This record gives sequence, structure tokens and C-alpha cells, in this order.
Amino acid sequence: MPLTKTRSAVIKAITSCVPSKYFDNVKDTTEFDIEEVKKVVRMAGVEKRHIADDSICSSDLCISSAKDVMRSLDWSPESIDALIFVTQSPDYFLPSTACLAHRDLGLSANCAAFDVGLGCSGYPYGLWLASMMLQGPGFKRVLLLHGETPTRFANSSDRAVALLFGDGGSATAIETSGTNEGNNDWFFSVHTDGTGYADLIIEGGGFRDRFPADKKSCFVHMNGANIFNFTIKRVPSLVEETLEGAGISKNEIDYFIFHQSNRFIMSHLAKKMDLPKEKLPMTIGEFGSAGGPSVPLTVVNGGLSRPTGKALKLLLLGYGVGLSWGSALVDLSPEAVLNHLVLDTDN
Amino acid sequence: MTQEEAISWIADMFNEPAENLTPDTPRDSIPEWDSLGVLTLMAEMDEKFGVVLSDEDTEGMTKVDDLLQTLRQHGKLES
Repeated sequence: MPLTKTRSAVIKAITSCVPSKYFDNVKDTTEFDIEEVKKVVRMAGVEKRHIADDSICSSDLCISSAKDVMRSLDWSPESIDALIFVTQSPDYFLPSTACLAHRDLGLSANCAAFDVGLGCSGYPYGLWLASMMLQGPGFKRVLLLHGETPTRFANSSDRAVALLFGDGGSATAIETSGTNEGNNDWFFSVHTDGTGYADLIIEGGGFRDRFPADKKSCFVHMNGANIFNFTIKRVPSLVEETLEGAGISKNEIDYFIFHQSNRFIMSHLAKKMDLPKEKLPMTIGEFGSAGGPSVPLTVVNGGLSRPTGKALKLLLLGYGVGLSWGSALVDLSPEAVLNHLVLDTDN
Repeated sequence: MTQEEAISWIADMFNEPAENLTPDTPRDSIPEWDSLGVLTLMAEMDEKFGVVLSDEDTEGMTKVDDLLQTLRQHGKLES
């Protein structure tokens, strides 16, 4: 069983960020018949979406978030040992977006900074990498930045995706507790099935087809049926194996934080796994499907009840493009600072 | 499940009066059996029968009888 356990990593703060410009699917859509739009809204649950204009990249949303967590924790730039930037909507093919963030945050030359090219599964993968980096004696503080601007690669006339996507970014500050004692065990399960690579893909614009004749191939294409099947096949077993590996029951989980792919699919999964609705916060109505960053967006904005003196046990679940899927079973202490920003754009 | 019960289930799923549906009813004449309806169908098949439909399965369905045949193939409908 591909389950990893780490010790001593602690989430100190998470800040999420969305662009101020938003789109009301029912009021603002002109591309599709209004009855069709209402039907999609009812099913997918996407009422509003925050969208980046052409001047906003995932880096802007994440860097604003990172500045916020550094300010709230009083972390100096020199104290940060690594920056991981998880995105599939980078500013450039090269250099890595992590290097741009490194510059804007004023981090030191001793800080490792690199990108991870994952989407929907990116948050559990990012936390896994960050916490693995904190197992040794060298690194003490890691910034995990995870942002996407899927509205910028969605064809506005493709109903399968146009009404679903929203944009968002996040920064998570992770620190080692400096001890292997105590209750800091985190569990991760990470998976891949590359045979489904074409089920969610932007075929053009990369080096396989650098300057495509058909510009539409620079937009994302999704095979909804295959993605649905992948989800209902993989997510229940992902939850099961994580809980079994960690030796806890689902009753001990305070919240299951799903990648906000589609309300219908999440509700179906919850029903299939017999998860109580109140343990499955949804933010898709407000933010749309913001890819992998929908997980930290939901931790921050999902209305989690946080009693003083008790850490929450969260099962974070990411699944989609790749095909790639992963879980992170982590604690969120009552001291962890959660914040949400809205980045001003020209509306 | 009998064919009558299956047709009643299909009618409920796609918000159609059961009396409007026969095995020969074309998919195109059932407004709710569109691309979103396909997701509903896939979820219902998974939940009710434990049957996972592929993209090819759903694309190949052009009338009610195709869905009935799929149920038969999976042993969910009396022959």
C-alpha cells in the first residue's frame, strides 16, 4: 500500500486568494441558453466564479497569499528554507514560477524553489513533499504555493468546462515542530494512472505541438464521462486505504475536504461512502471549480468549526488531471491562522 | 427487475411520464437525456446496480432499448 507517514510537520497558516472579478453563471452568461445554464448550475453547483483577467496569473494570487502568511506569522524571508509552487497554469514554460515567487517574496539564495506540474491532486501532493522535506535535520520552514487560473485555458463556448471553472491561489506555511514526539503524524497516499492522460488535456501550445494550426487545441478538453468514472472508481478506495493505513475510522475525521470538482459528483461520492454532509464542506457555489487550489480554498472558506484546544483532523482529497489522485490526512491546530484575500482586478 | 419497472426507473430519472416511454423511444425525444443526463444515468447505474458505464456505452445508446439491453447484459433485467 503506497501510504507514507511523516512526523513533526505542522500547518502554521493558510491564506487563499481569488480575483475580485466574478461571474454570476445565471445572470452573466450569454453564450448558452439560460435554461441550460440553470440546469448546469443546479447540477454542478457553480453559482458564482471568481475569474482572472488577462493580467492575472496564478503566481499573482499565490504571491499575495504568501505575503499574507509571512506577515501574519512574522516569518522573515531569510527563515524560509523551501518554496514549492504547484500549478498547471505557470507564467512561463521557463523559468519556474517558483523562481518568480522567490524574487517577489525576497527569499534567500539558500532557499530551494521549484515547480510541481500537477493540477487537481496538487494540494495533497504538495503537502506530502513539504512534510517529507521537513523530516530531515536541515529544513525548518516550507512555503507551499498552489494556484490555478483554469478560466484562462477554458474555451468559453465549451459547455463542459466554461461554466465550471473559477480561479484561485493559496499559500500554506508549514514548519517542523522540531520533535518526533507528540501527535504530529500525517499520512499520505499518492497515485497515478497515466493511461488517462488524454481525459483532461490541453493538446496544443506545448512542445508536442508548439504552434497549433487549430487554436482551439490551446484550450482544455475534458472527457467528462471518463473523469466521472475515474472519480467514482478511485476516490472511495483512496479514502478507505488512507483511513485503514492510519488506523482510524471515518468517524474520527472532522472534515473531508474534497477537490471541488462538481457538486453532483461530490454528493454522489459522499453518498457512496456514507459520509455525513456536514463533514463535507462545499465552496464550489462561490468559487467554482478552481482545480487543486479548491482544497485550501475550502479549508479556509468552508465554514469549518474550530473549537479551541482541539486540532481538527482533516482528510484532504485531490483527484483529476494526470490522471493523478492523492490524500493527505493532517491535523489543523486551533492556532493555525486561516485567512482569505480578494485580489483587486479591473472589473 | 422487470422491463416495466426499468422503464419506470428511466422515466423517473429523466423526468418523463412513464406512459410516454417504450423501448423504441429515441433518446433525442427525451430532453433530460442530454450530456448532464448521462452523468445522472452513470451515477444511478453505479449506485443502484454497481455498474460502471464507459464513454462508449453511453455514446452508443440511441434509444430506451439500448439502456434496457445494457441492464440485461449486466443481469439486472429479467430477459
